[in-house]
Amino acid sequence: MKKFIPFLLFLGTIICCLAMTERRVAAVNGDTPVWEVLRELGEPSPNHIITTLPEKASTEIGRKIVHFGSAKSVKKQSAHFVCTSCHNTEKEFGDLSDTDPQKRLEYAAENELPFLPASPLYGVVNRSSFYNGDYEKKYGDLVIPARNDLRAAIQLCAVECSQGRALKNWELESVLSYLWTLELKMGDLKIPAAEYKKYTTQKEDAADLISEIKSYYHIDSPAHFVAPPEDRKAGYGLKGDAANGENIYKLSCLHCHEDQRYSFFDLNDGKLSRKLLGKHFPRYSYYSAYQVIRYGAPSHPGKSAYMPQFTSEKMSDQQVEDLRAYLTKK
Amino acid sequence: MLMFSFLYSQEKSDIEYRTFKDTRVISTQSVETLPAGKMDFRISHRFGDLAGSNGGWETFYGLENATDILIGVDYGVTDRLTIGLNRSKGSGPLRRLVNGTLKYKLIGQGIKGGSPLTLTLLGGASISTTKKINDPELLSSFPKTAHRMIYNVQVLFARKFSERFSLQISPGYVYRNYVAQNDENGLFNLGLAARLQLTKVFGLIMDTTVPFSDLRTSENGYYLPLGFGLEIDTGGHVFQINLTNTTGLAPTDYIPNTRSSWADGEFRLGFTISRLFNL
Repeated sequence: MKKFIPFLLFLGTIICCLAMTERRVAAVNGDTPVWEVLRELGEPSPNHIITTLPEKASTEIGRKIVHFGSAKSVKKQSAHFVCTSCHNTEKEFGDLSDTDPQKRLEYAAENELPFLPASPLYGVVNRSSFYNGDYEKKYGDLVIPARNDLRAAIQLCAVECSQGRALKNWELESVLSYLWTLELKMGDLKIPAAEYKKYTTQKEDAADLISEIKSYYHIDSPAHFVAPPEDRKAGYGLKGDAANGENIYKLSCLHCHEDQRYSFFDLNDGKLSRKLLGKHFPRYSYYSAYQVIRYGAPSHPGKSAYMPQFTSEKMSDQQVEDLRAYLTKK
Repeated sequence: MLMFSFLYSQEKSDIEYRTFKDTRVISTQSVETLPAGKMDFRISHRFGDLAGSNGGWETFYGLENATDILIGVDYGVTDRLTIGLNRSKGSGPLRRLVNGTLKYKLIGQGIKGGSPLTLTLLGGASISTTKKINDPELLSSFPKTAHRMIYNVQVLFARKFSERFSLQISPGYVYRNYVAQNDENGLFNLGLAARLQLTKVFGLIMDTTVPFSDLRTSENGYYLPLGFGLEIDTGGHVFQINLTNTTGLAPTDYIPNTRSSWADGEFRLGFTISRLFNL
């Protein structure tokens, strides 16, 4: 028996070390990543978790691809768009359980953010579903592999949304690594700090706690396509607020069109641009904002760039009328 | 050194955008450079005389003739630097011109303070690829290959006074390696161009270039190159219809060689189609 004692001691040491190296959230505070807390509560790892980065990949390269579309040693991903053409990398609501487009606009105006047609990349790694709702109508079966797989969703965005090339594996991992730096922190959620304590130890009601935490943000991004008003002269039948419309024009329309940033159709906040859009608003034409907001603008032969539509979650009918009020204001 | 430090302190958002809608006004280049990564494919056409002895019904007001046709591309290397290559039929003594241009926006007009003007430098070279003719009387006899070359430099100053009105002046110099005995190789000139925007889509444009040369007088059969046009911006596609007495399209061609007179009906319809592509 004695001869087994050193072996048992050795085995015991190994077990102790393993137990001690198990990652635990010592104390939850506002800076603690939401995912760490969920993991401690027993949430299975999402399939977009990164264990090791492949050779050449880095978070910095990912950041450059997201913001600039290219990096040193990375060929331009798209000639037309970068991720931030349509996605913010900041949070878009004070309360992440909100989906009200008006609150989103007010938050954007307050924080000098663009008001964009796509969901923010901030917190995207905390989501478990992508290309939700009516995006199936637009992309068909292409959304099937992307719906529950962030990597596939990024590739679909790269090829279809930005009309560029698919990312190489190490580029994709770089982007994903950067997106993990944008994960939600506990302080982003409207959970009272006094409640944090209950998440620090595994409890029998862990599943309820996980659900509770997830109720403070969206694990998907609802998307409903809506049509322009049938009678475009009458519009949606809502009275527009020009001041609100000005925010939409400056934070949304001009984000892409000013200086032809992402569009060949040049707009500015001068009278001539506003007059053109205002004139066409009630028409059944390509320049009607009702048309392009709700259906998007198509690509043309030789020009793959297009304008994505705004879902009802990203711009409400009321906001469209607000925009009309601003553009037709004398 | 101070100038360069000023240049690079200018953010794109701090400078006036689209002083002119296009990189050309009618014949002359504008201060505009292409955004980085954009390619501009353009076709310009100048028909025959609309009136006068070579116009009228006989030529269907010049539409049956083409005095010059230019096809080429420009590319925005950076937001400030544009390079271009095109081929024009040519209408002067030297034809079949291959024209290369280099354009650099040195200073942008500030939106709030800063420079009151946009300043762009333009350099160009044309080589005539026309067949050599063994007649020493003709410029196309080309005793040396270098005689096929013509150079052009311009300094373009422009100001966008308002959303509706922009003005440009452009002192320049054209140098032809081979000229007739009574002509001069170097030719100083001064261009003037203006844009009056009527609506978001429609704008009126004009340009003229005065060559400073004792030879270039109406008595000797030379006239002031002068054009007026209507510019239609449909978004990524600028269509321009113009009336001009210039026959050539490249500055190395029309500045020294405009011999058509508005007063004699020797002006023509022209158009330019320009389309931008992302590369």
